[in-house]
Amino acid sequence: MASTETETRQSYLVFACGSSWYAVPAECAAEVVSFPELTRVPGAPGHLLGVFAHRGEVIPVVDMGVLVSGESEPTRRAVLVRLSRGTLALTASRVAGVSQVDGRLEPLGANGVHLHLRGPARSAQRDVAVIDPDGLFDHLSQGS
Amino acid sequence: MSTGGRIAGMLLCQAGTERVAFAAHEVATIESPSTFGGDAGSARQAYDSGPAGAERILVAATGEAVGVDTLEIDAESLVVFPAPLLLGRIAGGSLRGFVQARGALWPLMSLVDFGRFLAPSSREAA
Repeated sequence: MASTETETRQSYLVFACGSSWYAVPAECAAEVVSFPELTRVPGAPGHLLGVFAHRGEVIPVVDMGVLVSGESEPTRRAVLVRLSRGTLALTASRVAGVSQVDGRLEPLGANGVHLHLRGPARSAQRDVAVIDPDGLFDHLSQGS
Repeated sequence: MSTGGRIAGMLLCQAGTERVAFAAHEVATIESPSTFGGDAGSARQAYDSGPAGAERILVAATGEAVGVDTLEIDAESLVVFPAPLLLGRIAGGSLRGFVQARGALWPLMSLVDFGRFLAPSSREAA
């Protein structure tokens, strides 16, 4: 059975952007930050709000609302997701904390960003979309 | 793509309300729209920031050009942050990194590549 179809009992950082809840593997979630005024990047797609400098690194901020549903969710908080290829910040209007997620990890869509969101899954009685961080990074790299 | 470090000699520009920087050594001439004879895109276009007019046109030795609203020449040595890998394809791959100046980050663009990205002919083709 492919790893994307197995049930999960891992630990995840669970957060919301607007009315949608997401879970990112806890080992990738570096910290939750309040980001300063952003520097916009010329030619960037709408879901890329801008960048800020944090601990000597320039970090791109992705509006999860625009990325997933096309609707912006104003917030100055973000979850920093650290991968070997770099760090990205995913906007978060609420952070529930680290918890286990129960469910399956099948892609929630056949293409686009939904290919890198997995489920159906639940955490603390909430429906959550589990983020595949590397897949999301690839998607964002190609889309920009 | 920049690997970080420092750079001396920058043009710090405004495009509408946004910031954009170029390495001074890339700029062969600075012209006004009335004297410039070639095709130049405006940096504003890349921000969807209002009409594409420009007060100054930065021209590379190879002819690529970018219009900006204002510019300042900064001779100081500035810190350069490498561009995140995620942004490698931004603006046709013309983002070289970010410079820290005047208390803010400025996207450092390749004038040649950004000029090609903004060129009216290439935007029409797209």
